[in-house]
Amino acid sequence: MILSDLLGSDVLGADGRRLGSLLDVRLEMSGTPRQLLADLEVVGLLVSPRGRISTWGFERRGADAPAIIARPQRWLHRGTFLVDWRDVAVVEAGRVTLREGAEHLDPMLPSAPRSQ
Amino acid sequence: MKRLFSVALGILTAIGGFVDIGDLVTNAVVGSRFGLGLVWVVLVGVVGICVFAQMSGRVAAVSGRATFEIIRERLGPRAGLANLAASFLINLLTLTAEIGGVALALQLATSVDPLLWIPVVAFGVWVVVWRARFALLENVTGLLGLTLLVFAVALFMLAPDWGQLAGQALQPGPPQGEPIATYWFFAVALFGAAMTPYEVFFFSSGAIEERWTVKDLATSRLNVLVGFPLGGLLSVAIAACAAVVLLPASIDVTSLSQVVLPVAQAGGKVALAFVIVGILAATFGAALETTLSSGYTLAQYFGWSWGKFRRPAKAARFHLSMIICLFIAIAILATGVDPILVTEYSVVFSAVALPLTYLPILIIANDREYMGDHVNGRAMNFLGSVYLVIILVAALAAIPLLIITGAGA
Amino acid sequence: MNDHRRPAGRVLDAHLHLLDRQLLDRDGLPVTTVDDLELDGIEPGASIDPDAPAPKVTAILTGPDLATRIFGGRPPSSRRVRIPWELVTDVGTAIRLGVAGASLDATWAERWVSEHIIGRIPGGRHDPE
Repeated sequence: MILSDLLGSDVLGADGRRLGSLLDVRLEMSGTPRQLLADLEVVGLLVSPRGRISTWGFERRGADAPAIIARPQRWLHRGTFLVDWRDVAVVEAGRVTLREGAEHLDPMLPSAPRSQ
Repeated sequence: MKRLFSVALGILTAIGGFVDIGDLVTNAVVGSRFGLGLVWVVLVGVVGICVFAQMSGRVAAVSGRATFEIIRERLGPRAGLANLAASFLINLLTLTAEIGGVALALQLATSVDPLLWIPVVAFGVWVVVWRARFALLENVTGLLGLTLLVFAVALFMLAPDWGQLAGQALQPGPPQGEPIATYWFFAVALFGAAMTPYEVFFFSSGAIEERWTVKDLATSRLNVLVGFPLGGLLSVAIAACAAVVLLPASIDVTSLSQVVLPVAQAGGKVALAFVIVGILAATFGAALETTLSSGYTLAQYFGWSWGKFRRPAKAARFHLSMIICLFIAIAILATGVDPILVTEYSVVFSAVALPLTYLPILIIANDREYMGDHVNGRAMNFLGSVYLVIILVAALAAIPLLIITGAGA
Repeated sequence: MNDHRRPAGRVLDAHLHLLDRQLLDRDGLPVTTVDDLELDGIEPGASIDPDAPAPKVTAILTGPDLATRIFGGRPPSSRRVRIPWELVTDVGTAIRLGVAGASLDATWAERWVSEHIIGRIPGGRHDPE
């Protein structure tokens, strides 16, 4: 599977209702430690009920400047949530279905230190 | 002298934006038709390019990423490609015009047919891009381009009616007999030239070529604050000279020899010699700026190795694409097309390229993961936001105005 | 947030932090951009076992994947140019690899142009003056 096959997919609840579009895939460097970095594992999916794509991330970061861009972006992606990967039931072409009772989690990213 | 060299990047970048061959003629055309009635546009343009060049230079110095890398990263491959296509065409058309322009300036100096000069000029541009260190090329063309200040000197020697000039500048609007659409067409063209995207591509990539880091932020600011206002000053001086000499005589500017006419009238042969050196340096500098920008934009979009600080074999596709651009420019000029006319149509592509260039710069300049504590302050964001709106309006207006006025004819 | 969801390592969003970023080799030489990512452990259409290990990023993809992201379609997987994720040493404003770019398939076009065209022009292998 490649990332761009997932991005923009419809995300459906267990009852088949459309919850939104898959904006991004949340990863964590917490898998098996390797020589250089730990494995990069999928921990969740970001779902936006309204917008289809977001490459700027205003809806999941604390940043709110410049307002002329941040405000419309936040409004467009209001209600964005994170789903734990363990709550994903099945992935098909262009469609992701969640399990019964999948929790809508806070989508905010932990503020990462800047690295060169 | 060392201080002067440290702002050479800003000066050369601004020369490409304000006094390249297309602008030299446009400024004189504007002066001869509207007097100083469009000076306010140059001021608006100078502030705008200062704001965004400063951001792009700061992003390059702090994060090490040049402007087209962040365009690809923030806009993704599709919108990034749309910008690449538009920006690349602007680069190529301007490069073509500059090579033609250097040939025209050499014709003024030697009376040899410009068609014979074209391959020589293109080869000269290539040799410099191929072999010269970045610092050398920016210092030489930047400093020699300063001889264009002779336009400002000529203006004083012409002893114009300053009150009348000030009156034109302070009462914007088209003079009798000029349609309002033409006035606004030239306003958009001047604004687009001041903000032309290859300036930020060249400035930010130049910052990487010179290995600027956080320690060089003051140098970056100085480059911006000296270079672009100087470019704007040259642009206004050329228009003012035309307004003083050509407007009363109702001479329509159609060629380079008419652009330099006021200087020759004011200062004779010595001034003429200065102005020819200045035009040669400015057009040659702009040719280098656009050649390199073509390479920078392509390489940064696709992630190829680039930079004059590397030997050519270590940035092979970067150098190959610049060689191909120079051949295309020669081929276009060989058809006998008027090189100055070529740049008029680049305003169309600016409509796509301007918003798609300045939007990602504004976003990244606010991104703490890129910029740490060097993100934009409130004042910078306010200015950046205002200019983003102006750019959008100008972009939307550009194409209808071009069609209505027949490119200002 | 619940304790068991507290991140155990650095958190990255694939599109936001990885896609379309510049890839640099061990010596800081640009290699390519991240055109796509290969994920292992997701079987399209098959129901996912909640106890199975999480899927992981196995490779950075480049080359034909850029064209398909722009124009649609899908390259045959044999045409893909893969850079294994194990080679990555750092993720920042650019992504760094721990190997020399010349050792990767992703740089064959650059090497070809360098050897057959640019390197043969006089001065092509020297530092600028």
